[in-house]
Amino acid sequence: MDRRDLLKAAGAALVVPLAAEAQQAPPRVITEAAAGSPNGGPGQLTAFLRIGADGRVTFASPVTEMGQGTHQSHAMIVADELDVPLSAVSVIAGQPEPALRLQPVNEMYSGASFGIRFWHDRIRRACAQARGALVEAAAQRLGVSAGELGTAEGRVAHAASGRAIPYGELVEAAARLPLAEAPRVKPAAERRITGRAAPRFDIPAKTNGGAVFGSDVRLPGMAHAVARLSPVFGAELDGFERGSIAGIRGIVDVVPLKNGVAVVAETTWAAMEGARRIAVRFKPTPESALDSAEMSRRLRAGLDAPEAVRPRNDGDIDAALAGAARVIEATYEVPFLAHAPMETENATVHIQGDRVEVWSSTQHQDWCARDAARVAGVPVGNVRVNTPMTGGGFGRRLHTEVVEQATIVAKAVNRPVKLIWTREDEFAQSCWRPAFAARLRAAVDSQGRITGLHVRAAGQSVMGDYRPALFAGPLRGNDPFSLQSLADSRRYAFGALRAEWHRVQAAPKVWLWRSVGGSQICYFVESFLDEVATAAGKDPYQLRRELLAADARALRVLDTAAQRGGWGTPAEPGRHRGIAFVDLYDSLVAQVAEVSVTGNRVRVHKVTVAIDCGDVVNPDSVEAQMQGSVVWALSSMALEGVTLKDGAAEQRNFDSYPILRMGSAPVVETHIIRSGERLGGVGEPGVPPLAPAVCGAIFAATGRRIRSLPLAAHGLSV
Amino acid sequence: MHHGEEPGVIELTINGEARRLDADADMPLLWALRDIAGLTGTKYGCGIAQCGACTVHVDGVPTRACQARLGDLAGKRVTTIEGLHPEGRHPLQLAWIAEQVPQCGFCQSGQIMAAAALLAERRRPSDAEIDAAMEGHLCRCGTYQRIRAAIHHAAANS
Repeated sequence: MDRRDLLKAAGAALVVPLAAEAQQAPPRVITEAAAGSPNGGPGQLTAFLRIGADGRVTFASPVTEMGQGTHQSHAMIVADELDVPLSAVSVIAGQPEPALRLQPVNEMYSGASFGIRFWHDRIRRACAQARGALVEAAAQRLGVSAGELGTAEGRVAHAASGRAIPYGELVEAAARLPLAEAPRVKPAAERRITGRAAPRFDIPAKTNGGAVFGSDVRLPGMAHAVARLSPVFGAELDGFERGSIAGIRGIVDVVPLKNGVAVVAETTWAAMEGARRIAVRFKPTPESALDSAEMSRRLRAGLDAPEAVRPRNDGDIDAALAGAARVIEATYEVPFLAHAPMETENATVHIQGDRVEVWSSTQHQDWCARDAARVAGVPVGNVRVNTPMTGGGFGRRLHTEVVEQATIVAKAVNRPVKLIWTREDEFAQSCWRPAFAARLRAAVDSQGRITGLHVRAAGQSVMGDYRPALFAGPLRGNDPFSLQSLADSRRYAFGALRAEWHRVQAAPKVWLWRSVGGSQICYFVESFLDEVATAAGKDPYQLRRELLAADARALRVLDTAAQRGGWGTPAEPGRHRGIAFVDLYDSLVAQVAEVSVTGNRVRVHKVTVAIDCGDVVNPDSVEAQMQGSVVWALSSMALEGVTLKDGAAEQRNFDSYPILRMGSAPVVETHIIRSGERLGGVGEPGVPPLAPAVCGAIFAATGRRIRSLPLAAHGLSV
Repeated sequence: MHHGEEPGVIELTINGEARRLDADADMPLLWALRDIAGLTGTKYGCGIAQCGACTVHVDGVPTRACQARLGDLAGKRVTTIEGLHPEGRHPLQLAWIAEQVPQCGFCQSGQIMAAAALLAERRRPSDAEIDAAMEGHLCRCGTYQRIRAAIHHAAANS
């Protein structure tokens, strides 16, 4: 991957200055490299990989297992490249160190659907290096040249003499050898394990209570803490009355935090009761009166504001609009969205002198270490970050505030502490997908073809909250997330294209939410394309075929979804279809939604998904991610939205923020296209097309355009 | 009632074992299981019986442990996910593996306990009966399609 590709893969604008890119270690003795590695141990062959004397392979994954099945896929890549049985590979959560960091940002985190597309080649390379060292060690032991040796089933074999040596017996010698700088990695034709479904090794424990999640961690002498935070964004703690919870048995302490308190007790229940009942006061903020009406007003004002960032301005949109046979225009709006993972925020911290150990359901191991180190006053290298199974990430767990809080509490009570958030605080104090508005205008010629598209969007900056220094500095206020899937895609031939975004400011913290900017932009653009199709008298599928006419790869994805989804063929009585497409994180996804509308009840019966993610490691995981993404997307577009009153979220639990339930879930049929192109992301690209596909079907059924979400706000139920 | 007025020992059976839990009578079973009995398979998702992640069986009846007061459970038989089958090989657990149901897995203990109660009542439930029984169980990862398939699979293989 060259430098440009890395930047594109990082989802950042090209003006990002290059962080010190981690160089692959020059050839040097492995034992020297392993010494001091936080993932080090007996049998270490690379930063990721250890092989025991018994031949068991342990792989330290750079990615959090939060349900997307990446640990299984990593095990499959290792088994495939190293030539060991899949059953011989164990995957553990890695500790932060250079080889486990994403580049060019040089941080260990899980996001941007990078789990396979960034790591696949690097893992293969590390395994190829290890295999090469094992072969060389065998060559020396057998007194033959390496070229006479082959590897299979965890052994190096010399076909000519029939001798074979298990890896476990070669590791010690191999660890004294240098790693090849350019090892031979298996081409696709030689891969035997990846590309075929394999049962996930982490699933059995998830069926019998054995899986340990961040909130399940138990340490001797551990105290339990529950946070009580201000529901108003940015509000700081003013004071609290310790005496107000004097009657609760088992309370250890009450520790002040920046935006609330943590009640510490011998049991979670006592801490939770204490957190619920404690008398606490918060300072006012400039936005203590913010409500949804004001938020909407700011978004709409942003559509007309003169200041805007304009990352795309191809051709002459003004001329296209002036010369158009028709101009179609529409305005769209979407609300704040919560992640609401099933497991709330948690962190367990144990401070021992100048060393700190952290356990947290996290997506950002380096930021956990940074925050714990800062609070505890220790070097960041003295912090171990353990990532247990994580009860849903979706971008939420890139935020590491809970680790900072848990370290404050551990320091205050001088004991290991497990801190959890209540579901109420998870809704109220969380970081959201921003509310967004957009005005779209299309120039259409006399043949009904689009000759230009102008999109002005307005909303808060995710990058501004996520990486403020990067946003203000090198990006110069251009947030690549705001117009994601439009400004960064060159699939649709719109003719002229102007994409611009006005930054809205408001108190709520905004953040990456599964598919990030794709979640709002794809809904805006794809829904609007349906409006243009109607105005131009065209079938929505045909309109998109025209726009993608020069892109054979994209056409194949769109056509697959349309054909498998039965587009153009009679549907069951009362059922109508909608179609949508997205280009996100190097994957192309098209969906056809089959929907019926009876009165105010919208039933999504079936969603046909076509995904081209280049290649696949575990096709069953891809299918599962498409099923999950459709449910995620349907839940948010039909039911979800955070509304604001008095500077705080009105929704505090699942009774007021409904999540899609089983009875409303459609059947999802997935078609994976293995184009052989560059690997694309899988965890997120299945999300964006669902909302516009469903809205297109609703229009086909009722003639009604849905220009704001959720459906529930229009009195429609699913 | 003033919290903490009834310290004491509650005697009940958990997964076939007689247990004496030293805890407040007001403590929800959820936290007694997790913090005192050391059984962390039952999860906290919402605390208000909206999500189902805390579902256990009390005398065979699916119950939200976040709402079950310890003091009301003296003498009762509680089954958690850990005790559903001695080797984790209940037909539903095997079906869950065969169908590769869990993604993050956090909601799955509650899902399986609800499904087990359903199958104990109804050997071959229809899709509609499955939806009704499982309606109270949220899955943010969206594994509903595979949960339904796994329940059918277990029903066919019991």
